[in-house]
Amino acid sequence: MSEKKAAAIKPEHDVAQRTAELAATNDQLRELASRRSAEADLRSSEENYRLLVETASDAIVSIDDKGSIVFANPAIATVFGYAPTELIGKPLTHLMPEYMRRLHEGGFARYLATGQRHINWQGTELTALRKNGEEFPVEISFGELTRDGHKIFTGFLRDISKRKQAEVALRTAMDERTRISAFREEIGIALSRQEDLKGILHDCAGAIVRHLDAAFARIWTIGSDGRELELQASAGKYTRLDGPHSRIPVGQHKIGLIAQERRPHLTNDVQNDPRVSDKDWAQQEKMVAFAGYPLVLEDRLVGVMGMFSQKPLSESTVEALSFAAGIIAQGIERKRTEEALRRSEAFLAEGQRLGQIGSYSWRVTTDEIKWSNELYRIYEFEFGVPVTLDLIRTRVHPQDLSLYERMVEEARSGGHDFEWQFRLLMPDRSIKHMHAVAHSTRDLDGEVEYIAVIQDITERRQAQEALERSRSELAQVSKLTNMGEMAASIAHEVNQPLTAVTNNGNACLRLLANHNLEPDVLRRALEEIVADGTRASAVIARIRAFLKKAPLEWSDLDVNEVIYETLALASHEIQNRGAVAECRLTKTLPHIRADRIQLQQVLLNLIMNGVEAMTGVTDRPHILWIRSGLKESGHVLVEVRDSGTGLGSEADRLFTPFFTTKTKGMGMGLSISRSLVEAHGGRLWASSNTPQGATFSFTLPVAEEVFS
Amino acid sequence: MTTGKSSSFVFVVDDDAAIRSSLQFLIGTVGLQVETFESTESFLRRDLPDGASCLILDVRLHGRSGLDFQHELAARGIHIPIIFITGHGDIPMSVRAMKGGAIEFLTKPFRDQDLLDAISVAMEKDRARREQERDVKETQGRFDSLSPREQEVVSLVVSGMLNKQIADALGTAENTVKVHRSRAMEKMQAQSLADLVRMIEKLKDRAGKAL
Repeated sequence: MSEKKAAAIKPEHDVAQRTAELAATNDQLRELASRRSAEADLRSSEENYRLLVETASDAIVSIDDKGSIVFANPAIATVFGYAPTELIGKPLTHLMPEYMRRLHEGGFARYLATGQRHINWQGTELTALRKNGEEFPVEISFGELTRDGHKIFTGFLRDISKRKQAEVALRTAMDERTRISAFREEIGIALSRQEDLKGILHDCAGAIVRHLDAAFARIWTIGSDGRELELQASAGKYTRLDGPHSRIPVGQHKIGLIAQERRPHLTNDVQNDPRVSDKDWAQQEKMVAFAGYPLVLEDRLVGVMGMFSQKPLSESTVEALSFAAGIIAQGIERKRTEEALRRSEAFLAEGQRLGQIGSYSWRVTTDEIKWSNELYRIYEFEFGVPVTLDLIRTRVHPQDLSLYERMVEEARSGGHDFEWQFRLLMPDRSIKHMHAVAHSTRDLDGEVEYIAVIQDITERRQAQEALERSRSELAQVSKLTNMGEMAASIAHEVNQPLTAVTNNGNACLRLLANHNLEPDVLRRALEEIVADGTRASAVIARIRAFLKKAPLEWSDLDVNEVIYETLALASHEIQNRGAVAECRLTKTLPHIRADRIQLQQVLLNLIMNGVEAMTGVTDRPHILWIRSGLKESGHVLVEVRDSGTGLGSEADRLFTPFFTTKTKGMGMGLSISRSLVEAHGGRLWASSNTPQGATFSFTLPVAEEVFS
Repeated sequence: MTTGKSSSFVFVVDDDAAIRSSLQFLIGTVGLQVETFESTESFLRRDLPDGASCLILDVRLHGRSGLDFQHELAARGIHIPIIFITGHGDIPMSVRAMKGGAIEFLTKPFRDQDLLDAISVAMEKDRARREQERDVKETQGRFDSLSPREQEVVSLVVSGMLNKQIADALGTAENTVKVHRSRAMEKMQAQSLADLVRMIEKLKDRAGKAL
């Protein structure tokens, strides 16, 4: 193998050099020979000739027309192993293998008879026979001359066995190179195919068999737990994937050891290799070589590939296998990543479909929007249509448009995360409720990009609304029931003494009319009337006392905090009615001393009044402004300002109990609110805005002033 | 309203003392005897008088509803006319009261004249009922004074049978039937056959009602 290797290293150069040398010598000799035949009588050149012949490295032999050697130069000894004198008188065929002799004799005789040459005389390759019986290739050129009426043939024989060897080596090397490059190409193609991993690895194993003289080749991948190798492909003599080699624990057998050691294992002598366990099989199948490679990618083992061959592994085969191990490892990894990605994408798509969740990304600087399939479905856009902010806008519910615009504007101005709910108005006039969560990121260029998830919560919302409706109806009913019962109770309690008063009065009047009213009777009647009147007022006082009984829990409160709490309570209702609450709160306000629940009730009442006042408004956004501030008088001021229909002519009656402009209102809200605020030492009033809407304001004394 | 003044009463059941007292005063001004009770139980303990009477009943009483008490009285066969008074009446309540035979359903505070008118109507109705009852009772007494044979004959006479047919039915002579018949007419104080038929019908009617 070392010779072969040497030949393979620089064969081309060798051959070229030798060929050039040979050609040069040939030319010289040919020229010389022709000159001799042309100037046969130039004796002066005889010496030149002799010198040339004596010193030539090629064997030169002359024969007469009987075929007997008449001359042999010294080089014959190195080429053929004969001393020149040994050959004189011997037939030329002495220098030929047995099987060539008759051929030569026949051809020689024919030439002498007819002048017809049976071989090319110039540079013909033939096989010659050394003295030691070894056949070897020679290149022969002949010249012919006639001396003294006799034909003399002179041949120049060059040992070309080295050149031949080099040529063979070159051809082998060329073949090998072609094979290897074909192998590499095939592996490359296999790995880039859109096939599953098994298919790809099967092609790779096939390429090893076809191009690298493998009897069979196998590829395993490492299992997810890293403990076991799974056979993915087997090509050549064995193709089953479910045999005893289908699963190999890492660290066991030669394949498992390769995985554990992460080192290739190569041998051209399987019979003496300690790791080859089934020697009988190897012998029977004439296996000579084994090559196993770990498939490793950045310190991670992804698999093992192995092959058995009936031929020894050549250097280039080893190189090719080593190369293949590298790119197959990459291929496995890429395929796995692709499959994991595809799987996770499929999961994502399926998850989005199931959850009615869509996602999109929005690059703020370019307005480039990427839209998931599920979002196309939810928004009922035609698949693939480029999505723009304007296109999205066409679906946004008109009452949520201002909200939408504001969200877009705010999103443009800075990268915060957002979460909001809005509605879509579909072409069929149906309404979808959406919940969006947007996360702001920076792309590779440092530009703001939002990644958002939008969920269709219509069904959830509908269920919620149904629930809330029934809940608030229930609350309304129970409130009404309570009110009714209380009213009945009040009526009964007050009616009793009133009835008694009336009866007594009427009785007196009757007696008076009959001139029958005696002073005693009258006194008794009047006493009863006074007692009953007193009783009636006592009833009323009792009811008042009862109403006041609910204990207040005074505490020092940050009014802004209470505003936020109340907005949180009302946020759903506010949004549901298509309004947006905007806070302009003065920070670091002094605390007020109040009952948290009652303050929330007042705020809730004012907020809901404001929101309801805007429900009929269509020409402007439904924005509710809530402001807090400090007045010089040591009071905290809270304003709830709407852009609704305004107070109109009813402003004076707003705080009257049971006055309402709402179809479903009790007319108690503002009157109760005012009582509550006043009970806290504050004031509550209303004023009209220009150009539209109303502002409800209340003040509450700051804590220090109330209790110091 | 003058008939049997000594035994004629307006009863008041109301748990409110001021109402009781003022009603007693008011009703007393028109010369009616008033007796008040703070509960239905105390009212039931009193033996009802022979004269025309009526009951002024508060709908809402301690422990029970005046409407339920109306049913209880009917079930006990006490047919006193009832005027309801209430602090807060509603339509279903008044409908129920009127269906139960109430004379009037007044909401406190009521006009005195409305109450007095209602009392007047109630007394008149009770008097008429009592007269009719007394009449039936007398007729029954006369019928009871007939001998069994005479009662048999009367029954067959009012059913439209001729003397001869009655005689055949009873297995006796026609003359005997004639004697029984004239005795019965005399005892029943019936002026004519038609008179007798009316009396017997009245008795049957009462028996039917009692069922």
